[in-house]
Amino acid sequence: MSLIFIQLLNGLQSGLLIFLAASGLTLVFGILGVINLSHGSFYMLGAYLALTLTGIFGDVFLALAFGIPLAFLCGFLIEFLFIRHLYNRDHLQQVLLTFALILIFNEFQQVVWGSYPHAIPAPSYLADSVRLTEGLSYPVYRLALMAICLALALAMGLVIQKTRVGRLIRAAESNREMVEVLGFDSRMIFRLVFAAGTALAVTAGMLAAPIESAYPGVGDRVLILSFVIVVIGGIGSIRGAFIGSLLIGLADAFGKVFMPQFSSVMIYALMALVLVMRPTGLFGRT
Amino acid sequence: MLTRPNPSVVIFFLILLAVLVALPLVAGTYPVKLMTRVIILATFVLSLDLLIGITGLVSFGHGAFFGCGAYAVYFVSPESEAANVFVALGAGVALGGAAAFVVGAFATLTRGFYFIMVTLAAGQMMFSLFHDTDIAKGSDGAFVNVKPELTFYGASLLDFSDWRQFYYVCLLALVAAYFVLFGLVRSPFGRVLQGIRANEVRMSALGYDTYRYKLAAFTVAGMLAGLAGALFASIDGFVTPELFNWHQSGLAIMMVVLGGAGTLYGPIIGAFAYAMLEEVLKSASIVGPLIADHWRLGTGLTLVVAVLMSPEGLAGFLSWKRPRVIGDPSGAPPGQNISSRPLRLAKALLTSGLSKNFDGLRAISDISTVFEANKVHAIIGPNGAGKTTFINLLSGAIKATAGQVLIDDQDVTGWPAHRIARAGLGRSFQLTNIFPRFSVRENCALAAQTHKASLWRLRDRPYQAPEARAIDRALSVAGLTERGSSVAGRMSNGEQRQLEIAMLIASGADLLVLDEPLAGMGPEETQRVVSLLRDLVRDHTIILIEHDMDAVFAVADTLTVLVQGKLLAQGSPDEIRADRAVLEAYLGRQAEVGAVA
Repeated sequence: MSLIFIQLLNGLQSGLLIFLAASGLTLVFGILGVINLSHGSFYMLGAYLALTLTGIFGDVFLALAFGIPLAFLCGFLIEFLFIRHLYNRDHLQQVLLTFALILIFNEFQQVVWGSYPHAIPAPSYLADSVRLTEGLSYPVYRLALMAICLALALAMGLVIQKTRVGRLIRAAESNREMVEVLGFDSRMIFRLVFAAGTALAVTAGMLAAPIESAYPGVGDRVLILSFVIVVIGGIGSIRGAFIGSLLIGLADAFGKVFMPQFSSVMIYALMALVLVMRPTGLFGRT
Repeated sequence: MLTRPNPSVVIFFLILLAVLVALPLVAGTYPVKLMTRVIILATFVLSLDLLIGITGLVSFGHGAFFGCGAYAVYFVSPESEAANVFVALGAGVALGGAAAFVVGAFATLTRGFYFIMVTLAAGQMMFSLFHDTDIAKGSDGAFVNVKPELTFYGASLLDFSDWRQFYYVCLLALVAAYFVLFGLVRSPFGRVLQGIRANEVRMSALGYDTYRYKLAAFTVAGMLAGLAGALFASIDGFVTPELFNWHQSGLAIMMVVLGGAGTLYGPIIGAFAYAMLEEVLKSASIVGPLIADHWRLGTGLTLVVAVLMSPEGLAGFLSWKRPRVIGDPSGAPPGQNISSRPLRLAKALLTSGLSKNFDGLRAISDISTVFEANKVHAIIGPNGAGKTTFINLLSGAIKATAGQVLIDDQDVTGWPAHRIARAGLGRSFQLTNIFPRFSVRENCALAAQTHKASLWRLRDRPYQAPEARAIDRALSVAGLTERGSSVAGRMSNGEQRQLEIAMLIASGADLLVLDEPLAGMGPEETQRVVSLLRDLVRDHTIILIEHDMDAVFAVADTLTVLVQGKLLAQGSPDEIRADRAVLEAYLGRQAEVGAVA
């Protein structure tokens, strides 16, 4: 019984974490129309940024405060250098160019941080475990992580639903041409959205670092899972990404316990099932 | 359309082949083994071009079928004996093809982004199947202890552990694979695949079951990838789940595009070029230790430059610029052979209670009507009246919520678009919808081929004569006889419209459904198409949507007026002109607008 409860918490936690990455991906694809394979590299970059910045500041959360603006800047630059050439090009070229970015980022990581895995400490005030019930304790950092991710998800929902920028983003998602006709500079909206997507992936990577540590290729799994989530939730839908993330997180956590050899297969089977029933995802436009 | 490679390409490949054949005679083990890898890789990448370049399916899971082929060799190899060469390679082809068939059955239901994602996920699924379970020694990989052999009564004919013999087998496989694929792509079957890449909606409207064609292409590509995988397993006698990994699939896509997708020979160049690039960047003696240590960075940057600079790929450098063929701009007037064509009874169309709801919104409600044979029926109505939705219901592009559609006595309600097309209904689209890179004749050939379209039609010859007649007839009726060899995309808007109609005639359709056939035409072109339509009703039934009221009243035998998804009136032009309700609801409003303007 307590095993189920623990896995429930684990599933929610990993689902919420991956939601940060997946929501960035779905925003970029929904609004820019670009398939960004290098999204996983940003997650990896986040993990290594956490390593370096925590080394300097001594605390993951302080590191986050410096890391997020840095990620934003980095996203801005990458959009300017590479991504903006991909608008209105076909999927094949988008896949290729962002695949090339993966190769470049992987090598960058090798040069700067080397190929050994590194552990990143959780802040000392969150390093303990908390007793939930009799004989059941859970690391405090993971609980804090869930709270932070939830808060971020809520904030994102509020920004998109209630603010002027959010309204513009929603408008750009549903009709790009019209937004331009109305006189908004869509290039700026795109750059902003891409930078935000990058920052979300980096944030996820930094927050996850004390749990999963930093190692080469840490972003690969996240990338593939994020794509699965985008497909399940429907392209461009933040709400769909949220539901999809929790589904995948829980399926993975319980799969690992009940049929450990097939837990990954199960995730893809879940996606196939959703696609057969709703070809445009749970919340996608038909 | 895939054409024969031009002389410079042929010469390039003859030289390359000569070098490759001579290589084992002059070089040692290392270069030959390296080349063996590259040749196998080229075979694998070639199979992917059938999907990406020919059919337009960007598969991101192709590595999985390569992996299946490799593992097949492991499965059929006994513990301490050699497997038969044919059994090993056959198993690779079979397992690769079977896996591709299963994955393709799901994946080809989807398009674009979803197709990429589904193939990616399927590849990863197989990766984790071989990585996480003990099917074949799990994540450590497994050894094929003795490489495949071919013996004949004890005499060894072929031994894959001999690196020279194996090298020539791989080279032969690549050359054979190229010619088989080339023949396949040039066959009627391959023409359909290229049509799907250019315009899938149109192919479906012409009567092709595009799903089956795509699935067949996917399976064939999987079989060839399986063959390449089986050969790969025989290099080192080692198989690992990493063969399935999505990085493999990504690299393969990269080589296809680097070389030039859709040419078949381009991807071979791509594979060689990539392998050379990697080898050069890795060797410290050429580029220095700093770059050699970080050769992936060089690969990535090269790729970025390649994507941004040359969308055509390396094959683009080899092709000669062909002179533009500028055809005779004056199309012959259509209908010149009225007397030569006999009258023929075409099919009629009937709807009863036809309705369509979009999320609760009634787009079409309860339309019951008859379109008699051998007449021109015009559907008119204000914007948003549901005209296009209505004909989409007729052609099967969307499914009705309620009601029936009958062609003659046959109930076609709920049939998919391609089946309705084969029942004799051909349609055109609001935006001109042809295959711009195909010639006018090739466009019609695609249409004529639907007659007896079968998946396994690989040869043109038995059908050539009747089809050529159908094409000639269609071109002459549509007044395009002189323009047969022009590239469709370079013709005027009016001529493209004529071509669309010619395609419908060539496909043997009885019932033509045309969505704004006169849109964007000048008065002269309009006149030409109007007389073409009047001529066509001798042996066709025509249903059209049109906004040009003068033309409508000139061409139509009956008018059907739709307002807000309902049938307001139906009758002859004179009756409609006199109908008060129509005047108020539609013509009147337009007259008012006209008066204000």
